[in-house]
Amino acid sequence: EVGKMKGECFRPLGRYDFLDLGEVEENTQRAQLCRTIKRFIIDPALAKLVTHHLGPDLEDSKAVIFECNPGPGVLTRTLLNSGAQRVVTLEGEKSFLPDLQALECLLDGQLEVVHCDFFKLDPMGRGSMRPPAMYTDKLFTDLGISEANWTDEVPVKVVGIFPQRIERSQLWKLLYVLFDRLSIYRYGRVELNMFISEKEYLKLMAKPGDMLNYRAFGALWQMACHIELLHKEPWASFVTSSKYKLAIPKSRLPNDNLCLVRMTPRKDLFSASLTPSNAATLVMMVKQCLAKRKARLVDRLNMWSPDSGPKLLKEMGMQEDVLTGHVYPEEYKQLFELVDKSQEFTQSWLYEEVLENTQKEGWI
Amino acid sequence: MYILYSIPSTASCLCRSVPSHIPIFLCTYSSSLYTCVNSHNNLLTDPPWTSQRRHFSALIPKKEDGKKRVWEQSQLLDVLEARIQQLQSDIVLDVQHAKVQFVNASKSGRGASSGKSHKNVSGGRTELPKKLIQEKTTKTKKLNLKLGIEDKPVKSRKGKLILPGTSKTLKNQEPTAIQADTMAGAPVAAATVPIRKVEKLEWKLNQWAMSASPELVQDNSEARMYEGVQLSVHCYLEACVFCGDIDRAQRLLLTHHRMISRRNLLNIGLYNVMMRVWAKKGSLNQIGRMFILVEEAGLKPNLTSYCAALECMGRTPNCSPKVINRVLRQMKEDGLCVEELFRLCVFRQDERDMVLRAIHTVEPDFQPSINTVLHTCSSPLVKDFYTERADAKYPKLAFSLEELRERFSRQLSMEQASTITIHSVEAMKPVTPHMAKMRALLAEQRMVWHKALVGALRESNMILASITPKAVRLSLYPYLCLMDQKDYVDIMIQSLSNLPPSGESLHILAKELGNRVHNKFCIRMKSHNQMVDKLSHIYNEYAELLAKDSQDFDVLPRERWWKLEAEHSSGPSLLGDNTQWPHTVVVELGTYLVDLMVKHMKVNSDILNPANDRKFIPVLYHMYTFRSNKQVGFIKPHPILTQMQQDAMETTLTFDSYVMPMLCPPVPWTSAKFGAYLLTPTKMMRTVVGANQHEILLEKCQDADLHAVLDSLNQLGNAAWRINQPLLDIIISVFNDKGNEKLDIPPPNSEAPKILRYSQQDLATYSSAEKAHLKRELVKAKKKCSEMHSLRMDALYKLSIANHMRDEVFWFPHNMDFRGRTYPCPPYFNHLGSDVTRAILVFAEGKPLGPGGLKWLKIHLVNLTGLKKRSSLAGRLEYANTIMDDILDSADNPLNGKKWWQNADEPWQALACCMEIANAVRSPDPTHFISHFPVHQDGSCNGLQHYAALGRDVIGATSVNLIPCEVPQDVYSGVAQQVEEFRARDSEKGLKIAQVLEGFISRKVVKQTVMTVVYGVTRYGGRLQIEKRLKEVDDFPKEYVWDASHYLVQQVFSSLKEMFTGTREIQDWLTESARLIAKSGNTVEWVTPLGLPIIQPYHRTRTQMLKGTIQDLSLQITHDSKQKPDTVKQKNAFPPNFIHSLDSTHMMLTALYCYSAGLTFVSVHDCFWTHALTVDTMNKVCREQFVALHSQPILQELSNFLLQKYCSGLS
Repeated sequence: EVGKMKGECFRPLGRYDFLDLGEVEENTQRAQLCRTIKRFIIDPALAKLVTHHLGPDLEDSKAVIFECNPGPGVLTRTLLNSGAQRVVTLEGEKSFLPDLQALECLLDGQLEVVHCDFFKLDPMGRGSMRPPAMYTDKLFTDLGISEANWTDEVPVKVVGIFPQRIERSQLWKLLYVLFDRLSIYRYGRVELNMFISEKEYLKLMAKPGDMLNYRAFGALWQMACHIELLHKEPWASFVTSSKYKLAIPKSRLPNDNLCLVRMTPRKDLFSASLTPSNAATLVMMVKQCLAKRKARLVDRLNMWSPDSGPKLLKEMGMQEDVLTGHVYPEEYKQLFELVDKSQEFTQSWLYEEVLENTQKEGWI
Repeated sequence: MYILYSIPSTASCLCRSVPSHIPIFLCTYSSSLYTCVNSHNNLLTDPPWTSQRRHFSALIPKKEDGKKRVWEQSQLLDVLEARIQQLQSDIVLDVQHAKVQFVNASKSGRGASSGKSHKNVSGGRTELPKKLIQEKTTKTKKLNLKLGIEDKPVKSRKGKLILPGTSKTLKNQEPTAIQADTMAGAPVAAATVPIRKVEKLEWKLNQWAMSASPELVQDNSEARMYEGVQLSVHCYLEACVFCGDIDRAQRLLLTHHRMISRRNLLNIGLYNVMMRVWAKKGSLNQIGRMFILVEEAGLKPNLTSYCAALECMGRTPNCSPKVINRVLRQMKEDGLCVEELFRLCVFRQDERDMVLRAIHTVEPDFQPSINTVLHTCSSPLVKDFYTERADAKYPKLAFSLEELRERFSRQLSMEQASTITIHSVEAMKPVTPHMAKMRALLAEQRMVWHKALVGALRESNMILASITPKAVRLSLYPYLCLMDQKDYVDIMIQSLSNLPPSGESLHILAKELGNRVHNKFCIRMKSHNQMVDKLSHIYNEYAELLAKDSQDFDVLPRERWWKLEAEHSSGPSLLGDNTQWPHTVVVELGTYLVDLMVKHMKVNSDILNPANDRKFIPVLYHMYTFRSNKQVGFIKPHPILTQMQQDAMETTLTFDSYVMPMLCPPVPWTSAKFGAYLLTPTKMMRTVVGANQHEILLEKCQDADLHAVLDSLNQLGNAAWRINQPLLDIIISVFNDKGNEKLDIPPPNSEAPKILRYSQQDLATYSSAEKAHLKRELVKAKKKCSEMHSLRMDALYKLSIANHMRDEVFWFPHNMDFRGRTYPCPPYFNHLGSDVTRAILVFAEGKPLGPGGLKWLKIHLVNLTGLKKRSSLAGRLEYANTIMDDILDSADNPLNGKKWWQNADEPWQALACCMEIANAVRSPDPTHFISHFPVHQDGSCNGLQHYAALGRDVIGATSVNLIPCEVPQDVYSGVAQQVEEFRARDSEKGLKIAQVLEGFISRKVVKQTVMTVVYGVTRYGGRLQIEKRLKEVDDFPKEYVWDASHYLVQQVFSSLKEMFTGTREIQDWLTESARLIAKSGNTVEWVTPLGLPIIQPYHRTRTQMLKGTIQDLSLQITHDSKQKPDTVKQKNAFPPNFIHSLDSTHMMLTALYCYSAGLTFVSVHDCFWTHALTVDTMNKVCREQFVALHSQPILQELSNFLLQKYCSGLS
């Protein structure tokens, strides 16, 4: 596919000249000078491919594109060349800013450059709140993006690569803020188009019955988002800041690629009974249930409220002896909605359990 | 913090003999000065130094060889060498500063010791390309593997190569084996026979590989005894034997024996377990069979095996002398002697007598000799202490022999019961009808649960027993049969009352339960082995040493006990030989019991509220909490249970007996394995659970080398305490009346913030920011609640124990951590605790204040307030005299008066001191007033003191009061001043943050960072500390906090560097050495000047999975010596650990010399306590010992030790 696209010519955009992507060699060198451990998209073909997946109608789309840590800006230019109406680059590394800002000046508002690290938005920990750390409301207010309804069209598309070391904790953090509708999700159904490691993708997509990999993490993401695998790209296609060795994490799962995954929050995620204010309990419930996939669901439910397990299962039309690892994300959601209606459960003490987070980065 | 080492009044009198113009600090201490300077002079004057240099230059390769070195080791050499040069130049600097004329040094004994390591350094170095080494190592490994000797070749530490138990195999092998044999023989022949190059190479590689791999270094039979499989099997067998299930034990051993793969894991100790069983039964046949099995397994019978054989023969009536003679002959052939058998074997019950009987059949006159020669500790620091006893006045206790014996028997019965139930201090509150009702309800429920659990345990045991175990899988069954089911259930029910309302992690709960079972088992084992009578006998005689009404002894407690034990050698050994269960067994057993509790403890849901539907619901729940994305299994009590417990306010507490202080003086430590409590097993060195490297190291020590350490522990443990009753009463009254956070008395749960839950409707009206805020508040409230609960319970335990002991005299047995820092064993209530617990404790013995005592009490009081930091002692005394009204008012009306004491840094101790002063001044003659009050003397930033002394930093030493000054110096103010100078300079240069900080730099801001710098705080940690302080300053602009803290921590570090030049260099040297040692695959070890061996047990984490019915547990093991060392931890921890090992050495020395001066002495690390009367003497001893310690070439010896240990393989 890549090869095929290489030969293709860009359709000129009329008003604008094409932006020069620069020499691959030079871009690689610049990326390698980056002081923090990161991966970059340098290959023009790869950038083209990503752009293609963000499309098809970049010119007409109203969604703002957030590009995380563009580095030398190959993808940025490719996006602009393809006619993206509004690109915001969130660059955490100071050294890349001047070049990007120069580009910003060149253009007529299609590009905004912000010194901000997407993965350091709304930090929990201590330290000063100054770039690249930032609060989401400041970022969005500065950009003039206002809060939207959940059912509105996707307001923002985020594209980038998860930093390897914090990939999982970032995904958890996003999950929590999604269910709580905090942080970026205050502004509507922000769509992620991110490269994640293959193993993490496989865990994300694990299906009920896969007792080893089907866990709360995947179940909750599947419940919250429409997840689509757009593309698989070998690790080697990305340029790494060379000062550090960046070993590809080992896993019992296949892990040969980075996967470009689109995660679009479901329009119907929230309903009359599932709201951002009680969603935390749903998260808690799913985590409790899937901590052990071979446990019987009825036992878990009885823990919340004695004897109510069989009744609920009957209402759900499920087998009495169903294991927690066999229950679909959607079913968990329905189950929660039933539970939430039931008097017995809301009186249950376990219902009041609050998730504690002791991790520094992450959610509240 | 105040001054220990230079108190002007006394320091000046110490100074008198020394010319006052010499500023160097060591000069203060008259005679010791010269030894110290001399020893360093050695390094300075040319001749000895150059000779030393020559030694080293042989070790250091020329530059062009650099690439070829075995990398890390040579680097280490470089660092060590650099340090020696550094030491040299440092001293030159210091001396120039001091303008002292040195006499030409003669080669003193101490200086010469530095040459020791060079004996091992001879010939050239291995210069091998790395690749070649790898190749050769793999080759050798493969070869060894082929021969089946992979783990066996052992290089003894003296450099001899031996191949235990493998020589036979080798001879019968094919040609390659012979080659290997020559290889092994090579070093022996090296001197005479020229060896072919390859062989030589190979041999060297072997040596290198062996010395590099920690497991091989430690591979002696004892060490292996503890290792994984062996330990598990050993404990399993012991457990089977204890509960009488000999078949099961025999079956397990045989199945292991029959599988070759498993057989290789067995050691002789496991066969011995069975031999002892058969010996008890008098079954010679079985013993014979076991010997055959041992032979088959390629093992050698050891003393214990022969001991069992002889015991069996002793039990067999009319056993033929021929048989016995054959055994004795065999023993001789194996190189074992009968004398050793009596000296080294651990006997149970009547085993010793039976062995003797057997020997008497053939040698009627045989008597095991009693070895009464006492070796003394070799450290020069304690030579005087052990040899010059004529003037020693070892303190006696203020008890008659009769009283001590009576106390002993009470302590014994308490430990035999293994738990003790006491009234809590809340018992003083009146009982309401509701409380009474709840108590009855709870008691009733407990009976129900007890019954249910006994039934469940019995049933599950039956199931376990009937399952034929898979070949080598060790079941829990024998561990569940050690006691009556009832005893297990008691333990379970006990743990229920300690469960916090927020729950407890399964791992911790399981560990507690498992440990309790083990403890109880150990105590049972001791009475089973019939050692209690013998213990009583020896203790009763030992008590004479301490009792006031018996003769004076000129021996130490340890020596006395040792002698008595030698005299009463018949009967069982006092030394228990039961091994600590592997951590996995403890946890697995605990999890099993928790599972039973979760499944079988139920309650009616309508028990508290009849309106609820009646359902039979569990009391405990197993669920998960999620921490940093890790799921942690948790056991939570049902709110009904919590409610019942809270409403009942039960006023009894059940503790394990070792939680209580001892009612009699502890058993003296006579070896690293024996001492402290009477029956409760105690380790001399506390370690991470499961870490055994310390034990192995201690076992390898010469007995005599540990004497000083053992004696100082004994001395600390022999201090008798009692309760300061008036103060306890006041504290309890505050505790029972809502507590007081300011005074550190935790309020009850009723004062905790309410956890609110918002209804959906309410929530809908909030904005998302508000919701996030609410959520945060909710989490905070929950956290606060559980924190308050645990603080409250902790205080409840402490106060209740104190209250229980209110009329008693008691003792705290001591042990130590792996750096040698000492701690009292009872965990909750001891003198190391908070201000509250310290205030409750006074010495049991009273001494008159004497002429200077009242002065010290007053100074002590001012010190406790934290005021007058920069005043001289006279100034502090004067201040105390001006506030006498406040002091007396505090003493008379603590809660209703002016409450002056409440503003002190340590309010409760200050109050206690006020009362003591009041009593003293109101007595007819204060000099005769009998005071029990401990007066403290605290080091001023003790870590820095040691560094300054090591580095001979004059400026640094001044700032931490190692040099006499008019007024006490305060290092924190000093640093603050220096930082301020830097700031002013930067501010002038226009640095924004320096300008913002104007007027904000204070002692308080930098104090914590300065204090912790010696303990290895990093810039990161330092910044956090300073950030915290700055946030406390109200007018400091919040937006600058981060920048300011970042800037300040840099300035603090550079100030320290300026003031303590040597400190930083020493720290860097230590760090770099540790890094290289760790990189070369070793763990850092050293020996304190008192001879205590120390090893840093930090390794890469290994995860071990434990299967359980309730959930699988994964244990993170960070101390497994088979894993590679954790370089980061090894290197970061070395400097602070080394300094701790020095401060502990100093404390021990002070303790010992105070003991021979007849003082009561206890310590809280670097804070020393004694009676007001004896403060001056203690200060003198403390100073003398500090100087004596630092007169030793400490760094030189460390360097020698490291060179020898880690670099000798390179030659």
